[in-house]
Amino acid sequence: MNISILSGILALLIGLIYTAMTFLLPDAPIGRPMEPKIFPMTLGFLMIILSSVMLFQEMRKTKKDERPAGTFTIDTNLKNIGLTCLFSILYAILFDKLGYVISTLLFLEGELFLFNGAGKWKINTVVSVVFSLIIYILFSKLLGVYLPMTPGIWI
Amino acid sequence: MDSLMYLLNGFTVAFAPMNIMWVTIGGVLGTIIGMLPGLGPATGVAVLLPLTFTMGPEAALITMGGVYYGAMYGGSRASILINTPGDGAAVAATFDGYPMTLKGKAEAALAISAIASFIGGIFATLVMVAVAMPVARFALKFGPAEYFLLFLFALSATASMSKGDRIKGFISMVLGLMVATIGIDAQSGVKRFTFGILELQSGIDFLVIIIAIYALGEVFKSFQNIAEGKKKVQKEFGRIWISKEEWKRCVWPILRSSPLGFFIGALPGAGGTMAALMSYNNEKSLSRHPEEFGEGAIEGVAAPEAANNAASVGAMIPMLTLGIPGSGTTAVMMGALLMLGLQPGPMLFQQQSTVIWGLIASMFIGNIILAFVNIPMAGLLVRVLAVPPKILYPIVLGLAFVGTYAISYSVMDFYLLIIFGVVGYFLSKAKIPATPMILAIIVGNNMEQSFRRAYKISDGSLSIFWSSPLAIALIIITVLSVILPIIGDMRKKRAAGKGQTA
Repeated sequence: MNISILSGILALLIGLIYTAMTFLLPDAPIGRPMEPKIFPMTLGFLMIILSSVMLFQEMRKTKKDERPAGTFTIDTNLKNIGLTCLFSILYAILFDKLGYVISTLLFLEGELFLFNGAGKWKINTVVSVVFSLIIYILFSKLLGVYLPMTPGIWI
Repeated sequence: MDSLMYLLNGFTVAFAPMNIMWVTIGGVLGTIIGMLPGLGPATGVAVLLPLTFTMGPEAALITMGGVYYGAMYGGSRASILINTPGDGAAVAATFDGYPMTLKGKAEAALAISAIASFIGGIFATLVMVAVAMPVARFALKFGPAEYFLLFLFALSATASMSKGDRIKGFISMVLGLMVATIGIDAQSGVKRFTFGILELQSGIDFLVIIIAIYALGEVFKSFQNIAEGKKKVQKEFGRIWISKEEWKRCVWPILRSSPLGFFIGALPGAGGTMAALMSYNNEKSLSRHPEEFGEGAIEGVAAPEAANNAASVGAMIPMLTLGIPGSGTTAVMMGALLMLGLQPGPMLFQQQSTVIWGLIASMFIGNIILAFVNIPMAGLLVRVLAVPPKILYPIVLGLAFVGTYAISYSVMDFYLLIIFGVVGYFLSKAKIPATPMILAIIVGNNMEQSFRRAYKISDGSLSIFWSSPLAIALIIITVLSVILPIIGDMRKKRAAGKGQTA
């Protein structure tokens, strides 16, 4: 499917859902009851109009030249992005439990594996260890930004 | 004249040894980030912002200012040496900068880009000193209705000037305003679109979204290019300087491009990219030997570099004096100010004059330091370009996460970071510009609040939005900012159609 049409449909859906939700918003307890709804409602309607126009334009464009501009496929790029998201979620889960240094080390090791490849694991490890230690010391010790400590270790 | 007094006062702040150190550190780090392909000043400021969380407001702003124009200087290094611009504003530097490198004149290109940036930056800062106070004073006349219309103008101008599809720019803008409505409504206490999630009650922190779009989104995009292999970087340089003839060729282009860049930068939505491209085309048409442009003409590097640095300062004016950011990067800078508890706008110059004039004064110092960093030390700095992006991008990710954590000490924001990073990637895939959305998220709340205040003052009548001459003028320029580009497009189309039939 053409990605422009897909995003047009998505925008239209967002507009419809958002508008529906504004009608369900509770009334304001003080002042004009409608007041908190006016602005969002306008936005919802605008979104519906804009995305309809965009869809209409895109449909006409694709009719004109038969070949779709950018088709939506799952490639290695998307796989890497998916893995990065997965690593990030794991990072978020482990962040408080393992402490900054260990969780960051693991996260970076994973990302460098994606970007740099497993073959260069020596460089990857050096970069991960150095980065997580430097950032920890810089933020936690020098700048006074609290980062979760690794249990059982001094840092 | 009191501007000068304030400026002198500002210099006493900016000349404090600590602040000179911070502007230098910020400038060098900004230069490095700006050099990375795909990462520009917006990413630089977003990723390095957490460094300043524990500093005082003066030091924090001065550091971020350093990062901002450091990244502007740095962007052109990569354009000249490896033909990959750091961000849009540095694109024009590839046109002649890279051909110069291929001809073995990288030294002159690096030198002139730093010199031109320096002159552009200093010129624009001088103009800023002159106009900032009058603009701020004028803005004090604005009531809530005028403010609402001003926000509307800034946003619609940005959306309407966005590259490619205009309608996509507006969709991006509305999307941003929608995100801004999430959270408890400040005036009525009604919870809006929080889906029962406690963390969403205070709204989505725009800094998280900025980091997500400018750091994660850019890294996601880079997965594609990473496989393409790395260009060789020239590491050995002769003396980085220019000859007398080269200087003579550049002097007028620089002096013409600086005011042009400043003016375009101060307009909402236009920004550094447009300034650089316009001044490049301008010089090409004025030149006596336009055929050299694109083949390594030195003024083709000088003009856009002067223009984009002047634009980056010009863009600070509406942001500082009106609270309206005109570009992605100034939006991020405004985020930095808000983070420090400073609300940009006309009152800022009255209540926080030391901080603001300290920042303005540090722009002079920062430009001098950066010219030094970027000319004699350029050979050293560009070695960063030799570090493979494969290693640098994971580090940018690491910085993005630590920065997000430092904003609210909550891992919850990591999930928002991931979600909006993916959103940013798909926006770029669908060719929907992200800038209108970022601007809308930052000013969305203020925009709605001014609308509501005006609505309250008028006791529920919308006529307040066209009851003053100022308001009517704002409505007219808003309509024009939307209609003029459309008419321009139609004309172009008609001309193209005629060309085909003839």
